[in-house]
Amino acid sequence: MRKWVFRIGAVALLVAIAACMMVIGRGHTIYFDNKKLEYEGQTCDTYRRINVFVNGEQVAKLSAKDRGMATFMGQKLSFDIEVTKEKGDDPVTYSYTVNVPYKEDGIILNLPGMIAGLPEEAYTSIFVPMVVEEEDAEEEIVIDEFGMSDGAEGEAAEP
Amino acid sequence: MNNKNKTASSKLLNFLGNNAVPIMFIIIIALCIPISGFSSLFLLNEIVTRLSRNAFLILSLLIPIMAGMGLNFGMTLGAMAAEIALILTSDWQIWGIPGIVLAMIMSIPISIVLGLLCGKILNAAKGREMITSYIISFFMNGVYQLVVLYMMGSIIPIVHTTIKLPRGYGVRASVDLTRIRKALDNVLSVNVGGVIIPVLTLLIIALMCLIIVWFRRTKLGQDMRAVGLDMEVARAAGIDVERTRIISIVISTVLAGIGMVIYLQNMGDMATYSSHSQIGMFCIAALLVGGASVDKASIGNVFLGVILFHTMFILAPKAGAVIAGNEVIGEYFRVFVSYGVITIALVMYETKKRRAKAGMGAQLAAAQQEGER
Amino acid sequence: MSEVKEMKRTFIDEVREKLKSFGLPRLIITAFLLLMFIIAPFTGANFWVQITNVINRFSWNAVLVLAMVPMVHSGCGLNFGLPVGIIAGLLGATLSIEWGFTGPLSFVMAIVIATPFALLFGLAYGWLLNKIKGGEMMIATYVGFSVVSFFCMMWLVLPYKKPDMAWGFEGTGLRTTFPIDKYYGGVLSNFLRIQIGRLVIPTGALLFFALLALMIWAFLHTKTGTAMTAVGSNATFARAAGINVDRIRMLSVVMSTWLAAVGILVYEQGFGFVQLYNAPFNMALPAVSAILIGGATANKASITNVIIGTILFQGMVTMTPTVMNGLINLDISEVLRVIVSNGMILYALTRKTEATR
Repeated sequence: MRKWVFRIGAVALLVAIAACMMVIGRGHTIYFDNKKLEYEGQTCDTYRRINVFVNGEQVAKLSAKDRGMATFMGQKLSFDIEVTKEKGDDPVTYSYTVNVPYKEDGIILNLPGMIAGLPEEAYTSIFVPMVVEEEDAEEEIVIDEFGMSDGAEGEAAEP
Repeated sequence: MNNKNKTASSKLLNFLGNNAVPIMFIIIIALCIPISGFSSLFLLNEIVTRLSRNAFLILSLLIPIMAGMGLNFGMTLGAMAAEIALILTSDWQIWGIPGIVLAMIMSIPISIVLGLLCGKILNAAKGREMITSYIISFFMNGVYQLVVLYMMGSIIPIVHTTIKLPRGYGVRASVDLTRIRKALDNVLSVNVGGVIIPVLTLLIIALMCLIIVWFRRTKLGQDMRAVGLDMEVARAAGIDVERTRIISIVISTVLAGIGMVIYLQNMGDMATYSSHSQIGMFCIAALLVGGASVDKASIGNVFLGVILFHTMFILAPKAGAVIAGNEVIGEYFRVFVSYGVITIALVMYETKKRRAKAGMGAQLAAAQQEGER
Repeated sequence: MSEVKEMKRTFIDEVREKLKSFGLPRLIITAFLLLMFIIAPFTGANFWVQITNVINRFSWNAVLVLAMVPMVHSGCGLNFGLPVGIIAGLLGATLSIEWGFTGPLSFVMAIVIATPFALLFGLAYGWLLNKIKGGEMMIATYVGFSVVSFFCMMWLVLPYKKPDMAWGFEGTGLRTTFPIDKYYGGVLSNFLRIQIGRLVIPTGALLFFALLALMIWAFLHTKTGTAMTAVGSNATFARAAGINVDRIRMLSVVMSTWLAAVGILVYEQGFGFVQLYNAPFNMALPAVSAILIGGATANKASITNVIIGTILFQGMVTMTPTVMNGLINLDISEVLRVIVSNGMILYALTRKTEATR
């Protein structure tokens, strides 16, 4: 009896850890766009330069029409941006926190839209990876019964 | 009686005989190091990397040896479990340490199922566990291919086109593990005079060693040793031999799965259809190079083995290039040495077993004669 | 204890037992193959072409499977060390070509040259196997691997010069694969070849196999041959009867090795290419599982087992891809082959009645 309690407890613990890992380890990519955005007649123009910081580390340096990106784990990302409107202006700093839905791999944030205070659905969009046209010729998969391709063990390790 | 007149020189000879393989390797390496022209810093870095990468996998071989089941060629089953887990976690985009932990946890149930199966089959093939576990690894490789090449993406959902084959099902020949690459190694890693030491990984390995030492002293561990020494005696002593043997294989498979995750996080790249098939051979060869035999292996053998075997592995191609002007020769050479070492170890084990058997027969005959008198 | 178990045995168990002795896996494979033949015409594959393929593959592989027989008979177990003989055959093949023989003569010379190597390797291999009675199969596997990987180096180092085989530039080392149309490609298959419509029968190759099979069959009925069988079924008994067990075992290993050497040459003449380096690694397991599918066990094998096994195994290998592709456009034949052939070996290894020693 005690044995079973212990076993079930161990399994439950592992499942709990696994679930926890799935939440905190979910990786997302965020793309930052410094692009012109039009939303319900409102136009948000690009900025001359936007610097993006995550945890104080610069992840992107965007001129007009640029796109930068940052990867992170978890569903919430806080970042700071340092915005320069025109040449010679003093940079203005904003702080934002965005929530990324669990199931999305990547989202795009339109920074000018964000700065202008537009609603969330205006400046966020889901990142859809470009479908790379692949030749129909399938990737050759060699099912080698002995897997004895030479030095396969060392290959990837060489610096 | 013989023990008494054993001289120092015969003792030395005995020592040399028992440690022929490691000594041979030390000689090969000593010859190859100056030829290869590698700097000691480079070599040291490589050895530390490979030690942290492989040691856990090789530790998984110790328990079946303890239970008298020989070299567990079925450790590839654990490796397959780990690969399936890693394909899934990569597709779910779980990164970093959480990704590694999740993959380890997910590999466990798969490993247990495969280990149970393997243990059951090996119980039906007592006395030829090695060849059977060797064939099991091929058999399960077929099943693995069936799952990964045909069922993933069609039955088991795979979302990302970076993992899925363009035809819509099946996994690509190589899975990118950049997102968990060295995630474990980089935690607490320190740089000592140019040598990067992955402290956390080494700590995990050390912990595993402690667990194995502890395990040997538990009731189960003692049972395993008893089964390994003599199945019939163990059975007479009330030990459930079959169950003990199955447990030893299950433990080995689970450890191999966890070890494979550690191995692959260091590589940062996974050859979906071949990573596991080589791993068994290399790990077994490394353990034997460390001075282990089919029926006896210690933690010391593991570490000595990893260091010697992998140093040879690094040196061989370069040495081949210098000596024969062809790097490929060095690569073939190291494969040859791996197989050769396993062959020698197997031959030594079998001759020893036969001699012991003959000795026992002679003793029995003598006892019988005594009785008759 | 055992009595209680006996009592508990139900009717189903008995049926299962009977099926087992009949060879359930064999039954399944035969049924599967028959099914394939029935389905094949519906998938657009020509029946006669299929038959031709199976016969062809049979003629390539049968001798390699035959190479299992002597060692199984003498109790050395399944010859996982087949590559040892294959290497001898490859030495014969490459040297025969190197020394300028062409056409059918190159085939004969390849066998002649391979013979001393096969004898030499066989003697060494047999000597080793005599040292480690009881652990033959595992060690045979690794002896095979060691020899193959050693010769991987040799193919690079040995001073072969013939441009058909050697790398053109630098002139060092042999190619991994090279065609042998100019030498002995098809010498047996094209000899007395019969063609009826789309059915092609490689008579020469079949005759050659028949000749070897007959030789082995005849040998097994000589005094030495029966001694070999005696050693295989009970070594202690044979020793008591005054048979030199070690010598008989050695002889069987030499025979197996020589047959493997000839077998690879027959395979090459059908396939049309010589494959070096890693290729011999993959050749033991299919042959082992073929003879097991044919009904052999780890210590009993007959010529009939060889023939049935090779037909079933090669039939499975050739039929499944065409049928599967035609049917569901999904080629799982390779995976199926791996599972079936290794499953068959596992089945043989786990049957309690057959001990290897």
